[in-house]
Amino acid sequence: MDIIIAILVTGLTNGALYALATLGLSLVWGSMGMLNMAHGSMLALGGYMVFTMAVGVGLPVWTGFVAAAAAGAIFGGLLYFGVVRPLLKSGGPGFETSVMIATVGISIALENALLLSFGGQPLSQPFAVAGSVNLGAGVMPWLNVTIVVVAVLVMGAMGFLISKTKMGRAIRATAQNRDAALLMGVPVEWTYLQVLGLAGALAGICGVLLSAVTQLSPTLGADPMLKAFIMCVVAGLGNLPGAVISAFGLALIEAAVQFGLGARWGFPVLLMLVIAILIWRPNGLFGRAQIRRM
Amino acid sequence: MSDTSIKISAKTPAPAGNGMRADLAIGIVFLVCAIAAPFVIDSKYLIGQLIVGLFWAAIAVQWNLLFGYAGVFSLAQMALFAVGGYGTAMTATYLGFNIWMAILSGAVAATIFSMLVGLACLRLQGVYVALLTFAISNVLYLLIVTDTACYEMIGTTCRQFTGGPSGFSRFGDFGMRPVLRGDWVKGNYAIVLAGFVLTLLSSWVIIRSPMGLAFKALRDNQGYAIARGINRFHTQLLVFGISAFFTGLTGGLYAAHFQAIGPSVFSMNTLLFIMAIAVVGGTGTFWGPVLGTIVLMVADEVMRDAGQFRTLGLGLLIAVFVVLLPRGIVGRIGDFLTSIRARQNAPRQGD
Repeated sequence: MDIIIAILVTGLTNGALYALATLGLSLVWGSMGMLNMAHGSMLALGGYMVFTMAVGVGLPVWTGFVAAAAAGAIFGGLLYFGVVRPLLKSGGPGFETSVMIATVGISIALENALLLSFGGQPLSQPFAVAGSVNLGAGVMPWLNVTIVVVAVLVMGAMGFLISKTKMGRAIRATAQNRDAALLMGVPVEWTYLQVLGLAGALAGICGVLLSAVTQLSPTLGADPMLKAFIMCVVAGLGNLPGAVISAFGLALIEAAVQFGLGARWGFPVLLMLVIAILIWRPNGLFGRAQIRRM
Repeated sequence: MSDTSIKISAKTPAPAGNGMRADLAIGIVFLVCAIAAPFVIDSKYLIGQLIVGLFWAAIAVQWNLLFGYAGVFSLAQMALFAVGGYGTAMTATYLGFNIWMAILSGAVAATIFSMLVGLACLRLQGVYVALLTFAISNVLYLLIVTDTACYEMIGTTCRQFTGGPSGFSRFGDFGMRPVLRGDWVKGNYAIVLAGFVLTLLSSWVIIRSPMGLAFKALRDNQGYAIARGINRFHTQLLVFGISAFFTGLTGGLYAAHFQAIGPSVFSMNTLLFIMAIAVVGGTGTFWGPVLGTIVLMVADEVMRDAGQFRTLGLGLLIAVFVVLLPRGIVGRIGDFLTSIRARQNAPRQGD
């Protein structure tokens, strides 16, 4: 019984974190066909922002959340003006791959900048919630509850933004068909900027929550980003609700395998499962086959 | 997405009839320089760097064959390299193979591994392939680093079957020390250079062969190529395996040259460096990876003085190159030459 509770606590916490990371990736992929390899380092950026605000400047911790979201959004904007816009304009060979390589470069640079300014030793995150609640057989730390609640609130806000607001409608229209959206008067470039800013803010908040359960280090985002990629792929790239479902599902499976077979096997088993799913459904569990014109 | 691929095919000038002569000329110049290098350079450090450069160039040539010509965006290149190196080290350590046999079996191991990866991944498209291959090489790395079960005891220390975090060392070398004594590095250089030339030649033959045409066709317009009877899965699996063989061979040579192989070869930074070489030189151009290696190795040496800012600079350099010169240096030169030729031809047509 206590093992089941431990699996649920770990799985749900990780699931919430993965879901937030996946959402940012999937949003950017779905609306502009861009795989943002710098997403992981943006998570680290968010984590370090809280550290700077709370420990460096001495402001209350909640300002750190705002700062993390703002820093992520600004970085997303810089990414748009520095990389995405020129690449879209030049129409070079395969936007899809060149933007991926360029963001890998940006990611390495950002991680290295964090390393140079904060040092490589792991720091502890000032954002923490003490205590835990007893569930009979097992314990559930309040920190994990907070993470899940914050993540669900952020996801809810995102869902509202995408489905109900004008901005969300513009994003969905651009995602469906860029040229048609452009012809209908949707400011596509402005929408792209919004999407990258939004994904950056999501990454910032996710980074804060993530570094509260692990520790702050420049490469803190690498592992969650890899798993977020896998979850995006399982869900079908660009499918937001599917991404959230598969994030929670895979995190629970991963936690169960880790408790059952040892921590070492969590990721390999996950990957086997993903490959099996992709052989069965090459466009992901929730993805629809694309019909391409020649 | 389909219209971008049409754009590529329109922008990539088909190699003209004299492309072969140009390749031959560049190849001879390169070979003469490469053979002359150890006679001119006396510094052991510089020769060592040249050898490292040849390793990177060989991997980049194979990655370029895969990505630039066949359009398979694989991020498992360093994993294949590592399988080659580990295969060499493990067969030499456990089975007592001599180093040449071990290198060959490393290359075969890399080919077999690539077939398994290819069977799992190549049914998918584009970014899906990139993500899965990336994930697979990460899993391989994690499994090696977290391996703690003792396989055999060496003195008082225990060695894991996969070598664990410390990897393998002292499993043999090229045997140049007793022959050339102080100049053994130059002997290693000759062997590595021979391996590189073999890699380069093989990729040239493949690109010029009917098979090369098939995967260029798949890259440029997949639907059309399939409609003309090219089997995408088989063709891409084949090129994946060939590229893996030579990448594994390079891995074996690397392990034999350094007499050590460890999990650090999996690092993202190495993969990034290889991709940077191909992108800076020009993906989908034959000499791009070679030129890219020269440019980046020189830039790396220059930035060595900047010490801690080296990685930062390298990352930014890659981003800047992708944004400003999307077809790389060689691609740019090619564009420039075709525009000159077009200008020369234009007035003649008017006569």
